[in-house]
Amino acid sequence: MDAEALLDVAVREAGDRIRAALAMRFRDLDMAEEAFGFAALRAVETWRRDGAPRDPAAWLYAVARRRAFDLGRRAQVRQRAVHDAPEPPPDPETILMAAFEPIPDERLRLIFICCHPALAPEARIALTLRTLCGLSVERIARAWLTTEVAMQQRLTRAKGKIRDAAIRFEIPEPDQWPERLEAVLATLEIAYAQAYEDAAGLSDAADLARETLRLSGLLAELLPDEPEVLGLAAMIRLAESRRPARLDDLGAMTPLSEQDVDLWDAALIAEAAGLLRRAADLGCSGPYQLMATIHAVHAARRETGATAWADIVTLYDILLAVRPSAVAEVNRAVALAEAEGAEQGLTALAAIDAQIGERARLADWLPYQAARAGLCAKAGLQAEAADALRRALALHPAPAERLFLQRRLADLGA
Amino acid sequence: MQYLLLIYTDESLREPALLQDITAAHMRLGAELAEAGAMVGGNRLKTSDTATTIRTAGGAKTLHDGPYAETREQLAGYYLIEAPDLDAAIGWGKKIPGGPNYAIEVRPIWPLA
Repeated sequence: MDAEALLDVAVREAGDRIRAALAMRFRDLDMAEEAFGFAALRAVETWRRDGAPRDPAAWLYAVARRRAFDLGRRAQVRQRAVHDAPEPPPDPETILMAAFEPIPDERLRLIFICCHPALAPEARIALTLRTLCGLSVERIARAWLTTEVAMQQRLTRAKGKIRDAAIRFEIPEPDQWPERLEAVLATLEIAYAQAYEDAAGLSDAADLARETLRLSGLLAELLPDEPEVLGLAAMIRLAESRRPARLDDLGAMTPLSEQDVDLWDAALIAEAAGLLRRAADLGCSGPYQLMATIHAVHAARRETGATAWADIVTLYDILLAVRPSAVAEVNRAVALAEAEGAEQGLTALAAIDAQIGERARLADWLPYQAARAGLCAKAGLQAEAADALRRALALHPAPAERLFLQRRLADLGA
Repeated sequence: MQYLLLIYTDESLREPALLQDITAAHMRLGAELAEAGAMVGGNRLKTSDTATTIRTAGGAKTLHDGPYAETREQLAGYYLIEAPDLDAAIGWGKKIPGGPNYAIEVRPIWPLA
């Protein structure tokens, strides 16, 4: 294997662990990033010249750590910022020895820092993807449809707040645990929602989906006794399992009920089922488990050939009781239409208007118009369906959804 | 590290019994902060209609009758506390009493070099 390929493997397998260990050891996210970048650069040169080290990940960690010490000295970081005594200037021998030092697992601590509730949600996501996953600023910026400069500013601001407001580099205390964990889960949920939007997954959202899938799995590994953590990991796996079926040959979105179940990723579905069973054994339900269970009922169509819509309506009722949201209301209305008929679905959809009392905002919301179009068409209300489709198309759908909506509009003969 | 906990409240709140309760709760919190060695200082401010704002624009100073920002909730008081980190400061901030609607801003103090 050549040096670049070896580096790729090492970064993929141990990058997040190394980055987290550096961040925690030096309590400085910028320095960790710079030191890791330096080590990766140095790795290719050195490995090409001298051959591969026995443990590439440990090599990267040792070189990055030494770089961080140098940077720290150069910046005259105060002694108190560095907990361990400064290491003597290393010679090649000590680097070799250090290569056998295990890399401490500080990923959980880093996740909690990056997802601190005192940071804005979008800053949390960006920081987690950058600091823990090592996604480039440019890639994160593209996923959020913003410029690299703007994203860099957001990251700099977040890192500045962590430093200047003294956000603790520790696992939260028990009394802060629920709030802090909720912030972590919400961060991953929003990150995945962003990745899910783009059905095609050809763009950078695919990166994002992969990283969120990985992060949620990592969190479930690190916190195996938190049922909602398992619930979120299951939910993301189930949603992601459908990605191969979400587009047709022409690149148009295929709605869930029309997807070819043979294209669904059986391995991800099985993994999610295991996570949900473990969560249920812990005996404490919550919104993430409920959302995952709704996905699981859909996934069961792969085995049974049918969707238990009435069960889905019930699950949405419970979900709405614990965590009300417009998304859940709209999805419940769609499920109700399947279970009891389009009329009932439309009545439920109209009731959301009444409840939320923000008709104007709901009317400008793509999922609402898309759902209304589907239900009106089902109820035989051609003109209303066409109106909803036109409104939906005006709300900037992603390319795959645009194609789907346009096709529906054409089918109506409008 | 020191943090300033700024208390923004609705000044239209005038109900005597409620105000009395809030004052008593502040006394208790003050004692708790002192007990924990976290209290550096704190004060209640007179209402914002007593405020004068000195604005400097282009180097020229002008006086304005009233607070810096005309908002529904006004700066009503503050605590200056010693806390090891932001979570600890937020923990104290959550203990600050008030009426049905109020806000606490937690700001780290810029340390003197």
